[in-house]
Amino acid sequence: MDEFYIVPIVFLLPLSAVMVVMQTNPYTALVMRGILGAVSALVYALLGAADVSLTDALVGTMLSITLYAIAVRSSLSMRIGAIKLDKNDPLLVPIAKSLSKYFMRLEIVEFPDGDHLNSALEKGEIHCKFDRHETEGCKLLIRVPRLYEILTAAGIPNLSIVLLEKTGAGL
Amino acid sequence: MTVVLMLMLAVLLIPIYVGARDQDVWQRMLAFCSIATKTSIMILVIAVIRSDWAIGVVGVLILSLGNAALMLLAHILRRLNEL
Amino acid sequence: MKEFISYTLISLGLVFWLWGTLPLLGKRSVLFKLHSLSVSDTLGSMAITVGLLVHFPADWSLLFLALISLAIWNTILGYVLAFCSRGGQKDG
Repeated sequence: MDEFYIVPIVFLLPLSAVMVVMQTNPYTALVMRGILGAVSALVYALLGAADVSLTDALVGTMLSITLYAIAVRSSLSMRIGAIKLDKNDPLLVPIAKSLSKYFMRLEIVEFPDGDHLNSALEKGEIHCKFDRHETEGCKLLIRVPRLYEILTAAGIPNLSIVLLEKTGAGL
Repeated sequence: MTVVLMLMLAVLLIPIYVGARDQDVWQRMLAFCSIATKTSIMILVIAVIRSDWAIGVVGVLILSLGNAALMLLAHILRRLNEL
Repeated sequence: MKEFISYTLISLGLVFWLWGTLPLLGKRSVLFKLHSLSVSDTLGSMAITVGLLVHFPADWSLLFLALISLAIWNTILGYVLAFCSRGGQKDG
């Protein structure tokens, strides 16, 4: 009974693990994973396993959080290809707003001419293509069906959104 | 010393609760920062009570290296807001 | 006497921890919370470490290392978090 203080401290581990599982936002889940890592390092040190504790703190927390943060940041983004598109274009504001509900970012890729743009769209380097006509207005050609659903549900004015048929390019 | 550890655990529960509550990501980063410092000090206390040198070295290493992970994560989260 | 000094320092550190952590529950801005948290966490942890140093002088090298890394890293971390949570400049 000399070391009964172990029991309440060990209970922190399932508590913080449940809190990681409950997160919906990937970035807050990463922060919670860091909290779980700190708590588990404490529990392992408490149980006398110094090597496990050090490995968990360095690899399990530091390395995995950094790698996951970079992976989530680069995968949760929609790449718009365009010949000329300003970062502060007013049309982009509602698009970025509707994407941010799904924790996604906008990324603009500029191309020198239409041929490069079309071949990048076919190869799957970009998710959608932005066209601006003087007469017809602005048009967004999307390759990914789920992104099309998200953006049409948002109902953006002055922008017609078209889903491209599958051309055989991978995602 | 057991009483000291129990009091530390009670204080540690506050940032864990704050981290679980739905708020913006910077409030959670603050909670994470607080938890990282507190747990490593707890590891240090446990090591000194048991006079276990290995655990003490781990506590000091976590104290100095765990903060580096926090800084990396903070910089990545900052760059999310840029288009 | 030694015991009394060490327990006084440790309780002082615990009071500092509690005083700095309680504002996390409020609805103030991130910078306000960061200020109270970094001050109290650094000073409280240093008080606890000095208390342990008085109680167990045999482990002085370990505790001294902990004191130094606390003083350096927690201060820098406070600056980095404040810089990043404000949005930061482009070249940061």
